[in-house]
Amino acid sequence: MENHLTVLICDDSLLIRKKLRETMEKLKFKEIYEAENGVAAIEQVKQHNPDIVFLDIVMPDKDGIEALKGIKEVNPDIKVIMVSSVGTSNKLKEALENGAHDFVQKPINFETITKIVENILKEG
Amino acid sequence: MFSQYFGHYLLNRGLITNTQLQDALEYQETVHVKFGVIAVDKGFMTSAQVDEVHEKQKQMDKRFGEIAVELGYLTENQVEELISHQKQGYLYLAQALVDRGYMTMDQFSSALNDYKKEYSLSDSEFEAIRSGSIETLVEHILTADNEEIREKLGNYISLFAKNMIRFIDRQALLEIGDKVNETKWLVSQQIEGASPLFTALAIDDEALLYVASKYAEEEIAEVDELAKDAISEFLNLHNGIYLVNMSNWGTELTMNPQHLKENAKVTGDILPITVKTQNGSFQLLLSANPAMVKVE
Repeated sequence: MENHLTVLICDDSLLIRKKLRETMEKLKFKEIYEAENGVAAIEQVKQHNPDIVFLDIVMPDKDGIEALKGIKEVNPDIKVIMVSSVGTSNKLKEALENGAHDFVQKPINFETITKIVENILKEG
Repeated sequence: MFSQYFGHYLLNRGLITNTQLQDALEYQETVHVKFGVIAVDKGFMTSAQVDEVHEKQKQMDKRFGEIAVELGYLTENQVEELISHQKQGYLYLAQALVDRGYMTMDQFSSALNDYKKEYSLSDSEFEAIRSGSIETLVEHILTADNEEIREKLGNYISLFAKNMIRFIDRQALLEIGDKVNETKWLVSQQIEGASPLFTALAIDDEALLYVASKYAEEEIAEVDELAKDAISEFLNLHNGIYLVNMSNWGTELTMNPQHLKENAKVTGDILPITVKTQNGSFQLLLSANPAMVKVE
């Protein structure tokens, strides 16, 4: 599948960023950006305006929900996919209420991630 | 899981040596439990009958169950039941110990009975543990002497045991440990809310590399940023799953980002749990009184 989209991976975990980057490379994203915390994520969004953001929730320096609000203020059309180990119904609700496109519970299933991206690509 | 605990019980009782246990645990990974062992364990057949079927098997290309039914030693229903029990982990240990000549089947059975008596297990509790129920094992074996720990930390410990098996090491073994004050690495994470918890892993280089490599699913040879991140992420993932479970039971909790500290000192009202893996040990440190915990 052809992919003209750009993506930002935001997670304080080096391991998760590495694994997600490998998956994004397989999905042939045009550009892959990375951020380690919510503050850096919003900066990257202002700078690069990515099509998709993978966003962790539990992070130092602005958590994922706050970062989600900030990203949506910059560009409400960005598809933000929350990736978190804390998949409680409260967190899920909070994320969706603030405009998250989807929610993925850790441990990350890379097939799920691939499906989400493929659906976004199909929707154009 | 039960086979690890029962294996250590046999070791502590002097019934087998440490070398024999390690050998049996490695061997059990490679063997499939033979029908005969389960048939004797279930009381369906005697050892002599099993030997007879094995002899017949050498002469004809038939399954153990088929021959035993033909000889009238087993019914079809019993064969079905044996198939469903074939995957019980502890029987792999029995098989390994018997095959290696370290114990006889009789000695193994009698040790099982002693174990059941020693921990005052009812038939159904014992059956649950043998079938792999970690909750029952944590409740009746690991925290048997301490009701307070069981109430406050039982769920957490059970889940940690499961996640160790799921992500790191199928042979992981947890037991209440001795207090540690100093540790090479301390990964800690605070859980906040109605039932707050201090959670931490106190770990040395060897065990850290083992856990990190298993969790990252790649070989990590030195304690670099990736190794430190992987061990932290494992604790974070486990705590996240714990929060989801607690939420499903009606208690909403939150957690802070995890911290990693080198050469740390930990003091406070802490329960240390030793986690033995195939490659080194570490401690899971828990406190239901996080305000009293001091990390330096």
